[in-house]
Amino acid sequence: MSTNSMTDPRRQNKILRYKPPSTETNPTLEDPTPDYMNLLGMIFSMCGLMLKLKWCAWIAVYCSFISFANSRSSEDTKQMMSSFMLSISAVVMSYLQNPQPMSPPW
Amino acid sequence: MRSAFFLLVTTLLLLLALPASRGRYNDDFEDGEDLADFDDNDFAEFEDMNDDLTAEAETAPPPRVSSPSSQTEDDDDEDEATVELEDGQDGFEDSDTQDQDMYSKYDQEEFEGIGDMEKTGHSMKDPLIIHTVPAHLQNSWESYYMEILMVTGLLCYIMNYIIGKNKNSRLAQAWFNSHRELLESNFALVGDDGTSKEPVSTGKLNQENEHIYNLWCSGRVCCEGMLIQLKFLKRQDLLNTVTRMMRPASDQVQVKVTLNDEDMDTFVFAVGSKRAMARLQKEMQDLSEFCSDKPKSGAKYGLPDSMAILSEMGEVTDGVMDNKMVHYITNHADKIESIHFSDQFSGPKIMQEEGQPLKLPETKKTLLFTFNVPGFGSTSPKDMDSLLPLMNMVIYSIDKVKKLRLNREGKQKADRNRARVEENFLKQTHAQRQEAAQTRREEKKRAEKERIMNEEDPERQRRLEEAAQRREQKKIEKKQMKMKQIKVKAM
Repeated sequence: MSTNSMTDPRRQNKILRYKPPSTETNPTLEDPTPDYMNLLGMIFSMCGLMLKLKWCAWIAVYCSFISFANSRSSEDTKQMMSSFMLSISAVVMSYLQNPQPMSPPW
Repeated sequence: MRSAFFLLVTTLLLLLALPASRGRYNDDFEDGEDLADFDDNDFAEFEDMNDDLTAEAETAPPPRVSSPSSQTEDDDDEDEATVELEDGQDGFEDSDTQDQDMYSKYDQEEFEGIGDMEKTGHSMKDPLIIHTVPAHLQNSWESYYMEILMVTGLLCYIMNYIIGKNKNSRLAQAWFNSHRELLESNFALVGDDGTSKEPVSTGKLNQENEHIYNLWCSGRVCCEGMLIQLKFLKRQDLLNTVTRMMRPASDQVQVKVTLNDEDMDTFVFAVGSKRAMARLQKEMQDLSEFCSDKPKSGAKYGLPDSMAILSEMGEVTDGVMDNKMVHYITNHADKIESIHFSDQFSGPKIMQEEGQPLKLPETKKTLLFTFNVPGFGSTSPKDMDSLLPLMNMVIYSIDKVKKLRLNREGKQKADRNRARVEENFLKQTHAQRQEAAQTRREEKKRAEKERIMNEEDPERQRRLEEAAQRREQKKIEKKQMKMKQIKVKAM
């Protein structure tokens, strides 16, 4: 420990408060994944609802899960919940309209 | 009146019903049968069209009785049956009476004949096709295997999320526990989230994400503060975990020390792995401007071959790379991604859409350290202890940079470099800045004029106008004086 000699390097008067780095100056540092996944999830759930495609709705559920996992803590939970609910409702609606099981693409 | 109306309605309905029933026998009309023929001799119609009609006659009642899934008739019959069903149902609702008539006629005269025709129909047509029951009527879970697969996938994702989150949290806590003592002995404030009124150490990490943890330390000689970011891998995201299997990556600890103006002399320097240096030279604003030479191999200064150095001038490298630093770097070369000292640090280059920015980006004297946690992703909390010597190196660097001063020559060179960079920047933005200045001047003039116009009092208006005119006059005179002076000097 090179600095812990006789003098204490700590200075109470030199304390500076923490300022969260502003993200407007560094947009490149931000991870765009949660935003993209959110958007993708909404698009897929809309497709699933409108075109009655079950696989679209399932992918939307996955997208909203991924978006949630990658989200920042400062982000609005309302946004997450709304995309989540939308994708779940897409799945439910697809199955209500057409209770047949999903057929694999192969 | 009412009865007439009622009669009208019924006739209209009948008229509507007739085409509906005729619709069933569209085939007939397409064949070219006359409408008159149909009217006169219904049965001739039916006799000509053997299969279609027999099928219709046969299946007109049966579909009403049996379920659509247990059809064991041939293709035609089935097609007819389905068509018949839809049509029949409509027909049934529209014109009950008409159908009843048909059936009675069939029953009485044509039923036997139809039976014969049906037999011949059978022998002539394709073999029976037995359709499988549609899956949703089967009442078995097996048919829903895709859904079960999806739900299982989701459950896996959720499990991975919980496990990953916990692992990251444990790693962060382990790191903090092993470094706490060192930090608390060096900094007055360890841990601050910026929200509390009093600057009191929170003594814990800020969780920004499930994979990023922050720690702010402040209150020390030689520096303003130190921000430590634990950038773990996204273990909570299954997609990321799968990607990592193909492309291994490691957790990173990033330490950013911000310094006061008097704590550091003017120089730009970086050392790290070759790949990191090449990347930083392209990405970082200050490194690309001040260290334009290719990264030099670290072997010259006693570093391992895998390390490279980017420096503003040789004197800086000599100053920074003293024995102790070399010792630190050599011993922990595998953990060091990059070390970046700069008085002109402004972050990575910002790509602007509308040409160059009008102002130079703000710079701050910074020391930036990026360390890789050993283990390449499969780290355990014990590995965090191995990062402790690196933190010692950080503290040592802070003190060292404070003491490091360039000699006169070096200082001059550094100043010239900075002036050069600024000049370049100003030249590039010259045109834009002129435009901006011009627009500002015009704005001012316009505002002035508007003020004068808006003045209610004509007296005051006149006075303001005169004042503006006098100001303009003075400006012109000044310019003329300047021109004269320049001319005199030139002479």
